[in-house]
Amino acid sequence: MISVRDISKVFNAGRPNEFTALRRLSLDVQMHETTILKGPSGSGKTTLLGLMGCMARPSTGRISLNNREITSLPERFLTEIRRSTFGFIFQQFNLIKGISALENVMFPAYPTGEKFSTLHKRALATLEMFNLDKRADAKIEWLSGGEAQRVAIARALINNPMVIIADEPTAHLDTKLSQEFMDIMRDLKARGTTIILASHDPIVYDSDLADRVVEMRDGQVVHGGTGP
Amino acid sequence: MVIERHLHILDFTLSSLLRRKGKNGALLLVYTLIVFILASVLFFTHALKREAALVLKDAPEIVVQHTLTGRYQPIPVAWGDRIGKINGVISVRPRLWGYHYDTLLMANYTLMVPAENPPGPGSIDLGSGISRTHGANSGDMIAFAGHDGVPRMFTIRKILDSESQLLTSDLILLSEKDYRDFSGIAADQATDLTLRVRNPREYATIAEKITRMYPDTRPIMRSEILRTYDAVFGWRSGLMIVILSAAALAFIIFAWDKATGLSAEERKEIGILKAIGWETSDILMMKFWEGTAISLTAFLLGVILAHVHVFSTSSALFAPVLKGWSTLYPSFRLTPFIDFGQVATLFFLTVVPYTITTIVPSWRAATIEPDAVMR
Amino acid sequence: MILDPSILALLVSSVLISLMTLYACGYGVQILRRWDIASGSELQLALERRTYLISTIVSYFLAFQLVSLFLLIQTVDSICHLFVGAMCAVGTLTVNSFGYPTLLLKVATFILAGLWLILNYADNKGYDYPLIRAKYLLLLIMAPFIVAETVVQWIYFLGLRPDIITSCCGSLFSQGSRGIASEILAAPSVPMEITFYACMLITVAAGTRLFLRGKGGYLFAGMSGISFAVSIVSIISFISLYFYEMPSHHCPFCILQKEYGYVGYPLYGLMFLGAVTGLGVATLQPFVKKESLEKIIPAMQRKLATVSVFSFLTFTAIVTWQILFSSFKLEGY
Repeated sequence: MISVRDISKVFNAGRPNEFTALRRLSLDVQMHETTILKGPSGSGKTTLLGLMGCMARPSTGRISLNNREITSLPERFLTEIRRSTFGFIFQQFNLIKGISALENVMFPAYPTGEKFSTLHKRALATLEMFNLDKRADAKIEWLSGGEAQRVAIARALINNPMVIIADEPTAHLDTKLSQEFMDIMRDLKARGTTIILASHDPIVYDSDLADRVVEMRDGQVVHGGTGP
Repeated sequence: MVIERHLHILDFTLSSLLRRKGKNGALLLVYTLIVFILASVLFFTHALKREAALVLKDAPEIVVQHTLTGRYQPIPVAWGDRIGKINGVISVRPRLWGYHYDTLLMANYTLMVPAENPPGPGSIDLGSGISRTHGANSGDMIAFAGHDGVPRMFTIRKILDSESQLLTSDLILLSEKDYRDFSGIAADQATDLTLRVRNPREYATIAEKITRMYPDTRPIMRSEILRTYDAVFGWRSGLMIVILSAAALAFIIFAWDKATGLSAEERKEIGILKAIGWETSDILMMKFWEGTAISLTAFLLGVILAHVHVFSTSSALFAPVLKGWSTLYPSFRLTPFIDFGQVATLFFLTVVPYTITTIVPSWRAATIEPDAVMR
Repeated sequence: MILDPSILALLVSSVLISLMTLYACGYGVQILRRWDIASGSELQLALERRTYLISTIVSYFLAFQLVSLFLLIQTVDSICHLFVGAMCAVGTLTVNSFGYPTLLLKVATFILAGLWLILNYADNKGYDYPLIRAKYLLLLIMAPFIVAETVVQWIYFLGLRPDIITSCCGSLFSQGSRGIASEILAAPSVPMEITFYACMLITVAAGTRLFLRGKGGYLFAGMSGISFAVSIVSIISFISLYFYEMPSHHCPFCILQKEYGYVGYPLYGLMFLGAVTGLGVATLQPFVKKESLEKIIPAMQRKLATVSVFSFLTFTAIVTWQILFSSFKLEGY
């Protein structure tokens, strides 16, 4: 369980452009479930995803992952947890251009120091899952939108994460690709992966995939929260 | 594990460097140029110093010259007998040598009567430089005009080939009889006297005794010559480097600019890497490998080019500035060398400033927030 | 002053390194005063990010300092003939009274930087920055030495004027003259040989005990420090003789030259490695009870002790090899 207690996140504290992205927010995310954060842009969805995904630390409040307090861990420990627990899918895929699809999938595992040959095999197998094994050596800019999306998902899966975090995954996709994305998520869910999605796209938050929809506004949960 | 991690990161670094050929190519070019120039200066002056040391290794400990109103004069051979009686002096030998100006080729040659194995009357040994310019080989006849303008014919016994070409290149060795006839120096006089002294601590005392015995002589110690050479060359290259430091400064600014001016794309890439599980120290490691790859390439390339420049083309580019004396010899090759001190010096003058310049920018790049790509 | 390229290189790089150290110290002070691990404030996050910068600077410093140490010796050796009577590095270093202090400061800052990095490594393994205060206090202790080295080196080179009569290594280390170096020699070589081997034996024994039982950290660290000092004295007293194969040449620097196959580099390298890793054991010892390092420190100490013992053993092996197979025999000298 990812348990978020009373967290706030303030950017540029003490300066004229001070901005509070989250205010005393509490939320529990159950494992093996799919949680969808819904809300207008600027409601703090992305910031909350970042905090839950160990990308940043809250200004105040505590977050624990499977009952382990992770709020005050140094960055190198947070990164390790992030790498082994979470897989990220970003709005614009964020693949590195000029480099092959296969290498892009392998990048998240580089710092683990895994043996090249086993990593290579694993990355190929992951690409195969998405019928991309033939495109493994193609550079990112040669891939179609659908292929790029699947490479991005393959990359998120390379370290066998317990949790997949996706931020507005369908924002730049047409309906067909959006449906395809949801199908892949459904597969992952069936295999027991925890999924956390942030979206204001009805295809996402109205889908049967969602076990829980959390509605956010102005850095607070307005509906669907389970906090105290 | 640790090694694999390094290899992965190194692998990624190299591929990113190659992806940005334009930017890194320019940096590499300027970097290599700086290393090349500095290395050429260092190698060249150091090689000249070594040549001087090589020559002076076998030089007599003390040379005594005769002066008249501060100007050089031939010295009476007989003075050597009294000087030889000074305690600590092992032997005294009169030397015959001088310069000859070849009006035809407008070059200066050094004439000398060797102490050991001199050529017989009528024959000479020729330095490789003269042999080349005259197209003369051993067994050929060659003529030089003596002090009275009358040419004398000599048979070439052999062409000199020695470890140090700088000093034998323009050399002519001949017999004492031929030399006196050629130069017109009187039979009881010599160019100077050379002394062998065993104990280095006695040099100063002996020199002092000689000047007291013959106040119009000037004893010159070998160590003094070496020191002077060194000081002169050291100063010259030091001065060159001070001047070049302006260029180096420009390079540092260039490097700083390149390092700080991360392109939006690069920033985004680092952001992506951090978001998908790379840590600040992984990015720092990547930046370290990036710096190492660039420095190593530029350093090796610069040093190799400078080595070729100095030892194969005789420093064609800036020999005139560094050699300093007006007419050097027609052409010569320096003895190649490579030593730790020179390489370490170069390292501290180029790689260290470059690295220090890039530490802060690299760190800034490495501490981009991982969630930056999500915003 | 002599405007030699190597001297310029040493001066310029040491000034740059000093500036970087002072820069790091500025943030070190801030970290000591404002550090609050429980806070998620932006200041705290910024300070945590600064720690990366500072450890990067110290790592580079360590590497540069090692090269600069050897470059200093090489440089003073190569300009020795500018000074009447100086025959190698020893002569040039004694031209004025700042030569040896420069060398000693370089050695000291190198060792301190090595110890700092060992602390840093342990700190990075703990999830709550357990050594942050100790680490930055050590940085603040180290900084004056680094700056002092730059200043002293600057004064030393500025004060070098060719032709000043100095003692060469022959006279400096001859029995008759006074001063610290000849005191070292005054300890006769055979007892020194016994001391050397005894020292190495105790160090290895202490290291093995630490490795097997996890006990005696301070004892082992103390012994490796003593072994380091004894090794230097031994090089001057008898080891150098076997390499030079001359009964009166006691110079500790000439073994770095080509004539002796650069054997000095591995010898000094092993000594430094042994000393830094050995002393590192003691640096970690006070923190052995820190909760977040309970498992980490003993494992690190074992590794450090292994490296240290291995270094000293290899050093001893090279020396012993030379003593046994050199045609030079010490008996009678």
